Amino acid sequence: MTEGSLVSARLLVFRVGTLACAADVDQVREILPRLPTTRIPGAPPVVAGLVNVRGTLVTVVEGWRALGLPPPSPLPSPESGPAGSTIILELGKGEDAGNEGGGTSKKLIGFTVDEVMDMLAGGETRLEDRKGLPGVDPTLVRAVGRRNGELFIVLDVAALLGPILPS
Amino acid sequence: MDLSQYAELFLAESREHLSACNQLLLEWERNPASPEPVGGLFRAVHTIKGMAATMGYGRVADLSHRMENLLDHLRRSGRAPADEIIQMLFRATDALEKAVGLAVAGREREADLAVLAEIDRAALQAKPAPQPSGLARHFKESEPPGSPESPSLPAAPAASSGSTRLIEIVIRPEAPLKGGRAMLVVRKLQTLGTVHRVQPAAAAFESDDFDGRFVCELETARPAADIEAAVRSVGDVEGVTFGGGTDESQVSPAESAGGGRTRHIRVDLRRLDTLMDLIGELVTERGRLNDVAARWVGQDPEIDEVAIQISRLSADLQNEIILARMTPVWQVFDRFPRLVRDVARQLDKQVSFRVEGKEIELDREILDALGDPLVHLLRNAVDHGIEPPAERKRHKKDPEGEIVLAAVRERSSVAISISDDGRGIDRTKILEKAKREGVVGPHVESLSDDQLLRVLARPGFTTAESVTSVSGRGVGIDVAMTRIRALGGSIEIRTEPGKGTAFVLRLPVTLAIVRALIAAVGQERYALPLTYVAETVEFGTVPLTTMEGRDAIVLRDRVVPLVDLRKLLGTNGGAPAPPPRRPVIVLEMGERRAGIVVDGMLSQQEIVVKGFDAPQGTLPVFSGATIMGDGVPALILDSAGLV
Repeated sequence: MTEGSLVSARLLVFRVGTLACAADVDQVREILPRLPTTRIPGAPPVVAGLVNVRGTLVTVVEGWRALGLPPPSPLPSPESGPAGSTIILELGKGEDAGNEGGGTSKKLIGFTVDEVMDMLAGGETRLEDRKGLPGVDPTLVRAVGRRNGELFIVLDVAALLGPILPS
Repeated sequence: MDLSQYAELFLAESREHLSACNQLLLEWERNPASPEPVGGLFRAVHTIKGMAATMGYGRVADLSHRMENLLDHLRRSGRAPADEIIQMLFRATDALEKAVGLAVAGREREADLAVLAEIDRAALQAKPAPQPSGLARHFKESEPPGSPESPSLPAAPAASSGSTRLIEIVIRPEAPLKGGRAMLVVRKLQTLGTVHRVQPAAAAFESDDFDGRFVCELETARPAADIEAAVRSVGDVEGVTFGGGTDESQVSPAESAGGGRTRHIRVDLRRLDTLMDLIGELVTERGRLNDVAARWVGQDPEIDEVAIQISRLSADLQNEIILARMTPVWQVFDRFPRLVRDVARQLDKQVSFRVEGKEIELDREILDALGDPLVHLLRNAVDHGIEPPAERKRHKKDPEGEIVLAAVRERSSVAISISDDGRGIDRTKILEKAKREGVVGPHVESLSDDQLLRVLARPGFTTAESVTSVSGRGVGIDVAMTRIRALGGSIEIRTEPGKGTAFVLRLPVTLAIVRALIAAVGQERYALPLTYVAETVEFGTVPLTTMEGRDAIVLRDRVVPLVDLRKLLGTNGGAPAPPPRRPVIVLEMGERRAGIVVDGMLSQQEIVVKGFDAPQGTLPVFSGATIMGDGVPALILDSAGLV
């Protein structure tokens, strides 16, 4: 990824715990409410389990664990129901996003977040080629941006989630 | 005209004919005096030639044409061919197979046609005294236009003094490559005279709507019978009518009836896969519908009726689709006689090879994946199993060894065995080696069949004293075993010194939808396919014991080791204490058994097997997952991983 492509990318901004994060919209397949998961015995704790996305089985990763954040406060407001969303991301093998029918090496993986906040069009925000914020593993960060004065990190989705699924 | 869309069909059909060629050559090799194989060979090669010419694959057409020529001579000579002719025909068949593959890949120029000279030389020798029979004339006419040596095509019919005829041609509706056939018919007619008009225009042949029916206006001096013979030689021609019009009464009676012909069509496998996926989703939704119906049946009993009806219909549909995917094992087995023969010749061994249960059917996907492991086991049997003829004689055995490949339908699986009557596996030698490599402890005195297999299946383990080019490179049974396990199957071995070795593979009949027990473990649900479930018993009602340090139960005088799923799967976190009388599901895979201890049995139902990308670290005891009636996934336990 060059910096140029970063700046022009559209970004989905979401919140995990207190951390504002973003992912390239091209990598987001869809946004779903939190789905009931089935535990996968033996999988590391970062894996929340398996969910059913309209007949396709997708492994879901617990967002706060993957980012090494403290566990969420146990009491979300009672009327909001099961809090948060599951973002279904596409892990490609660097191929162009255009060719879908081939079903080459694309893998789907879910990522739980507390709140989806915004979608930023390309050029709407300036990204700095800076690796990270305090408390976040810099190898997981592609850049840092600013929205309404608040800093957010653009996640390197492949680096974050790729190692969880075997190639 | 663009024929590339037909390339896949051409490849599939050609492979079938080539496979038939190999079978027939093997038969001929065993019994050179038999008159049958040559006729079949001739027809198979002739068909390939026709299709290749249609596709414009000049080299394939040329090679098959010359083989056909030689076969025609051999056929008419009526003498048993010399062995070197048959060996040469094997090579020619191989060359043809390669050429077909290259042609389809668009690399026909790379085809190696060195065998052509041999074929022509043999044809020259085999050529009987000229004696033009009606049959011979027919075959000359079937040579492709422009083929290098079409000796006596009727000379230049161009300046025809004949009449103009309207000919209606109907290609068999079930024929593949209909447009291609039609094109070939037109080309064929052009060799007989001048084609003035084709209706619909040749360009329309490519269209999906083309129904195989077209009219040609031909100016020729040749009689109708010749024209019809020429048209029919293209193959897949259902009717030829002269005089224009659509007067069906003139259609040659020979093949027009159509009745009694098997009605088969070729379907792209991906279509069947899609159907399978869709029916899978339907089965899942059916489960949901049944749940809803059970809740609402009090309000309106009709909902129950509808739910039952939908269940029945989707079950029928599902069965039909599973059946449509079933493929007889001969589709894979048929290439093995040639393989075994080649390996045996290479190693100077004498082997008779028998195949049993050819008609047993398996899901296409399983069958396709089975090819490589079987090739490996067969090579092993020839190489390590069967002794050289001299050694067999010394042990008072028939110098010709025997290998049997047999498929047998069992309860809900298929067993495929590869057995040889060779020297058997030397357990002491394996044991020594296993000890040296630390596979088993130094105090072990003998290996059971089961342990033997585990030793053999270690990656890189080889018993061959010298590595041959055939096998013994240590990439062996472990690979075969991994493949079979991935299909939800198992491997077993039986071996006796001096008597022989048998490998038995057990495979589920289908992968996609299976009946399964749904078991509760803590608050979780797991599916266990019924394929290998022998029975269920209740913990506490059967005597307990231990076996090699593991808990076990005694069941009809047999000790069955137990696997507690709570412990294995690490079920914890708020799970209630296990009930006092836990069910034990007894799995049986050939000789091996295990009792799986669960907390409860929830139901028995059909489940749709789906794959998932297992995260790193996932326990290797799952063969997939399924979606339950409430839409939540449940993991499927792999019997082979538990037993």
